[in-house]
Amino acid sequence: MQRILLTAVFLVLGYGFWVSPDLKEIAAGVALFLFGMISLETGFKAFTGGALETVLRRSTDRLWKSIGFGIASTTLMQSSTLVSLVTISFVSAEMISLAAGIGIIMGANLGTTTGAWLIAGLGLRVDIAAYAMPMLVFGVILLLNRSRLLKGIGYLLLGIGFLFLGIHYMKEGFDALQDGFDLAAFAVPGLAGLLLFTAIGMAVTVIMQSSHATLLVIITALAAGQVTYDNALALAIGANLGSAFTTALGGLTANVGGKRLAVAHVLFNVMTAAVAIALIDQMAWAVDLISGWIGIAEDDFLLKLALFHTLFNLLGVLLLTPFVRQLERLLIRYVHYVPPPAEQPRFLFPESLNTPATAVTAVRNEVAHLYDNAHALIAHGMSLRRRVIDSDASLSEAVRHTRRIMPLDVDDIYEKKIKSLHSAIVAFIGEVQGREIAEHWTERLYDLQQASRAIVEAVKATKHLHKNLSRYGVSPNPPVREHYDGIRVQIAKLLREIGQLRTEEPGAVTSLSLDSLRVGLEKSSLEHMHSINRMIRDRQIPPHIATSLMNDDAYAYEIGEKLIAASRTLLVSDEPGDRIAEETLALDDRDIERIAHESKPAEQAAAGETSR
Amino acid sequence: MKTKKLLAKLADFMHKDRVAQREELERIREVLKKLKKKEQQLREKLEADPDEEERRELMGKLDVVHAQRIKGVERVKEIRDSRREPNADKVPEI
Repeated sequence: MQRILLTAVFLVLGYGFWVSPDLKEIAAGVALFLFGMISLETGFKAFTGGALETVLRRSTDRLWKSIGFGIASTTLMQSSTLVSLVTISFVSAEMISLAAGIGIIMGANLGTTTGAWLIAGLGLRVDIAAYAMPMLVFGVILLLNRSRLLKGIGYLLLGIGFLFLGIHYMKEGFDALQDGFDLAAFAVPGLAGLLLFTAIGMAVTVIMQSSHATLLVIITALAAGQVTYDNALALAIGANLGSAFTTALGGLTANVGGKRLAVAHVLFNVMTAAVAIALIDQMAWAVDLISGWIGIAEDDFLLKLALFHTLFNLLGVLLLTPFVRQLERLLIRYVHYVPPPAEQPRFLFPESLNTPATAVTAVRNEVAHLYDNAHALIAHGMSLRRRVIDSDASLSEAVRHTRRIMPLDVDDIYEKKIKSLHSAIVAFIGEVQGREIAEHWTERLYDLQQASRAIVEAVKATKHLHKNLSRYGVSPNPPVREHYDGIRVQIAKLLREIGQLRTEEPGAVTSLSLDSLRVGLEKSSLEHMHSINRMIRDRQIPPHIATSLMNDDAYAYEIGEKLIAASRTLLVSDEPGDRIAEETLALDDRDIERIAHESKPAEQAAAGETSR
Repeated sequence: MKTKKLLAKLADFMHKDRVAQREELERIREVLKKLKKKEQQLREKLEADPDEEERRELMGKLDVVHAQRIKGVERVKEIRDSRREPNADKVPEI
């Protein structure tokens, strides 16, 4: 379908260029304008370096703030596409609510109307091509720099330069066209014209993927008299409608949050367009009235068009704002979430790659998903049900009452639920690191990759431990049974405590709690070592079982160590300052060993003394 | 703004490291406050006469939180000394 459309566009344009040299100039203007938009988006992405994300997260707790953010960011960046895409990735990563996302999209729709004012008010009245040239030169010089910031500014300058140049070429093209060809002769009056030109505006926007570019065409064509004012209004409505479909296409590949937001965007724009079409006469009357109040001349159709564009978007925002919560509820109810199987990634979507913050959050969520899979596998590997570990029930009792060790094909589960996810995480991180991102994000991604690896290693250790547990876990020899029971309780406790910590807010204090688990692990390891020594000394176990116990203690220690390491990465917040504080206060290996030795029970201390 | 504060800001501006240190200091102080609160909660739980196993666990957690707080206070002192600003930053009590 896409290939056919592309071929058709090429053929039509090729024929047009052959027939009319003016069309060539107009099309080149549109192409330059679009390239300017792309440069501007690249510039903002490199330039903000996370500032946009930080502001977005902090300014969306109230609906009016979300709408305000949408207006301000789109006005500043002159790209509702960039704002919409970033918003979709934030909603997909569950970093902001759906209602906040709807607010931003509504605001972005209103913010994008400032573009029409700029083009109509400045673009066509001043010789902006003269400003474009130095911008392009300075832009390219800055682009040659290594600094991320300077490169970003370079892209911004290039973007603005190409936008100006695009506007200039379009103006020239339409002016030249005016001499030999009158498109206004194809004007269609009445409702048929309204619907036809709305459809044309929509189609042009879908093809160009930019409502800004469509508006530029409309305004320059209107300025050159190639389109009537009434038809221009309809084209503007169509441009608005078309931009929603561009976002909808982007939202289709996102997860459920992104899909819901894309549906909301389409609903909002369709509703706004329907109201504008239904009330076109009243809107035109209002435009005339307000134009009179603010001093726009009666025959200044360019500014009147910009005013119309603003008015009907404002009307849409006013109509929908009281119902945002209801719309959110409806979308959650009807746009369903079908969780993919446990072995498939749940958060690694291409949309998450839009910003470093969303990419890192997606990886973090996926590592947490991997941890959940490992949690279930390790719990079963210890022959305990997950619900027992996640409850308040006594773990010692549950372990003591075990009559048989659950059979488990650890290799199979490892291949299906662990290795496949780990590979997906590694591949996604590789893709993120291929883009230009700040150093602290690279470090965070490295930590997450290490966490993913630690989880895999914990599962591998479980595989080895499970073999001997199946053989000796319910041994008739009481000291052996007791020893394995101790190992199972130790790991189960660790899983429970980490599970509880994961329900708390990520931050330095939560991740510092893991040091207690490390001390507990060290103490258990010491206790187990003393217990094996005692059993050998008292000839309670044969040497081959003693070596199995020693190996299994080492596996249990490795499981604990790796799970704690992975959890630390998941529990610390993404704030660099928080991480510095956590690193400073966290206990090192020597501290852990010292505390574990100081707090060992008196009987063990005495045994330790006598064994020396 | 007082002259002293203005001078401190100017000094921060001249030395990038000082800004980083100030930020670190603030973060550590924040975490230390939370740890102190956590220590108090653990002590309250200990006073509620728990069983032997729970008591041992609580004692273990208390040892860890205390050790973390000592590390934090030492770092605060270290930063304060390197900033050579006696009395400029209050060292939290253990």
